[in-house]
Amino acid sequence: MYKPLLAVICIIFGVFAYLWQQTTAVRLGYKVSELKNEYERINAENDSLRLKINSILALEKMDRISREKNLYKPAEKDIVYID
Amino acid sequence: MKNNNKPANRRKVLVIAVLFIFFALFVKLAYVQVFMSARINKKVEKMVRRENVEMPKRGDILDAKGRVLATSVRRYNLFLDPKIMSDLNEVKQKLAPHGIVIKQKSLQEFGDTSYVPAAFNLDESAVRKIKSEKISGIGFENKFIRQYPEGRLLAHILGITGKDGSGLEGIEKVCNSYLSGEQVKTMQSRDGRGRVIYDRLTDTSKIRGLDITLTIDKNIQFIAEQELRKAFSEYKAKKAICIVQNPKNGEILAMVSLPDFDFEDKIKNISALRNTAISDIFEPGSTFKIVTVAAAIDDGKITMSDNFYLENGRMKIGNHTIRDDHKIIGYASLSKAMEQSSNIGMVKIAQKLGSKDFYDYIRRFGFYSVSGIDIPGEAKGLLLDEKNWNSMTLPTVSFGQGIGVTAIQLINSFSSIANGGVLMKPIIIKNIENTRPENMSFFESKEIRRVVSEETADKVKTLLKNVVDKGTGRTAKIPGYSVGGKTGTAQKIDPATGKYSTKHYVTSFCGMIPAMNPELVVLVVIDEPKGSYYASSVTAPVFALIAERAVQYLNIPKDEPEIIKNDKIK
Repeated sequence: MYKPLLAVICIIFGVFAYLWQQTTAVRLGYKVSELKNEYERINAENDSLRLKINSILALEKMDRISREKNLYKPAEKDIVYID
Repeated sequence: MKNNNKPANRRKVLVIAVLFIFFALFVKLAYVQVFMSARINKKVEKMVRRENVEMPKRGDILDAKGRVLATSVRRYNLFLDPKIMSDLNEVKQKLAPHGIVIKQKSLQEFGDTSYVPAAFNLDESAVRKIKSEKISGIGFENKFIRQYPEGRLLAHILGITGKDGSGLEGIEKVCNSYLSGEQVKTMQSRDGRGRVIYDRLTDTSKIRGLDITLTIDKNIQFIAEQELRKAFSEYKAKKAICIVQNPKNGEILAMVSLPDFDFEDKIKNISALRNTAISDIFEPGSTFKIVTVAAAIDDGKITMSDNFYLENGRMKIGNHTIRDDHKIIGYASLSKAMEQSSNIGMVKIAQKLGSKDFYDYIRRFGFYSVSGIDIPGEAKGLLLDEKNWNSMTLPTVSFGQGIGVTAIQLINSFSSIANGGVLMKPIIIKNIENTRPENMSFFESKEIRRVVSEETADKVKTLLKNVVDKGTGRTAKIPGYSVGGKTGTAQKIDPATGKYSTKHYVTSFCGMIPAMNPELVVLVVIDEPKGSYYASSVTAPVFALIAERAVQYLNIPKDEPEIIKNDKIK
């Protein structure tokens, strides 16, 4: 009596395990696509920030600001080169 | 007994019934999963799978030290779909705080459509804020746009891209196949709400274009552009060119052509795109004299101790008279003839050399052939075939008239002298990301040929040093460094008369620093300067300003005692 019951329980367990695996795959699919979107967003933001940094550090702009602030080139004796 | 068995039997029946139901469900499930799966999958795939096109991101262009010169960023265009939109006023109200104004007129102009563009080039954060408003009837389309963080710096070298993102000029054009990347199509599975369930992970290295590293140093480029721009506006010149080259490997460290263009502005005049440093031909004048002298020394026709009778500043050839600006009475040494930039001295040297040998040396120095630099639009120059030379060709070519050269050819010839007589291919592309060394060979530093012996090159370097120390190039001196160089002031042909003009000149200076073991060669050309037109007062000082800042930046050690104003040695 118990052997067939055990067999049926095993089969049912197997089927539920299979179904669980399927639903988990779909759930992880959502998660992966969500993370991919997040990765792309961060990447795009990173690119924008990199562009912003480079635009701020543009030599022409720095030169203009230095002239506005009356900055001058230091004398050679005042420069210490660090290797 | 019978009564006692009844509940047990009932339980058994119930268990069997439950098991039977589960078994039936299981059979159905197995049937659906195993036997019907193919048919169902096909139907579902049709419903949920959608083709997705991954737009490639164009690779960056970097300077020699990896600093960004050109990059692409993702930007969004916002569009309205009037067919889905329920309340236009609500959409207007919600978009207004984001700086987006929708005009009724534009909606009417587009008529019965699902696409009315409303805002352009929005960045990621703006899009996120708008999306959080949950506005119905709007959509976004994304694209990559090209950005040049340094503004107009290097405009001619970098070039431009078209609306479709492909390169049209400069490095953008030459390296388009490397920079552009590949468009990748993937199949996505989406649920009823449009969310992606499954997206095959794509090889991102294919989607992204490759980064290109140039030999250009952003700081040296800035120095050259800044100083040249000052001179360009001071002399109200027609054109100006500056090239800085490492003579040892042919690497171009800076290349400026003025007038230039700004990437931000609409390019109205297409000629502004022309990179005159490689495309425009000019008569070099006296800077070409190093070719005459180097050829004659190398061919053994003259020695450093030779003296030349300089005809008291006037020499007649047929019906033509050749004059020296700096008149020398009687004889002059080779060094003196170079220092005072004697045309007559050069004519006499070229006559010793003969047309055939002179022509061969000119070609060996790389004139009248493209240098092979990796930028489109390079000109070959102008030079009559030696067989067609008349009695005036040899004399005039000897001092740089009657020959058309490009700036890149001229600096490359000076660099060959600086490099001990070996002509190098000028290079501007240093590296292409992820490219195997065997595929990089086209862009690599390459020895073209030996032009003159090392001994000849050393003698010419000494002559060039004397030009700066004692001759016409004195304004090119840099405190603490030995400098060798040559001035050049060439008359231009007046298109109206077809004769040499007495008003229009091309003035140039090409110099090397330090003089005997050069690390840098710098060429400055100014076309049609107003006011003064002598190279000694126009281009040589510009050379000095650029070279001085460049050697300080590159930390090239000083090789001469620095003489300060009260003549004390520092």
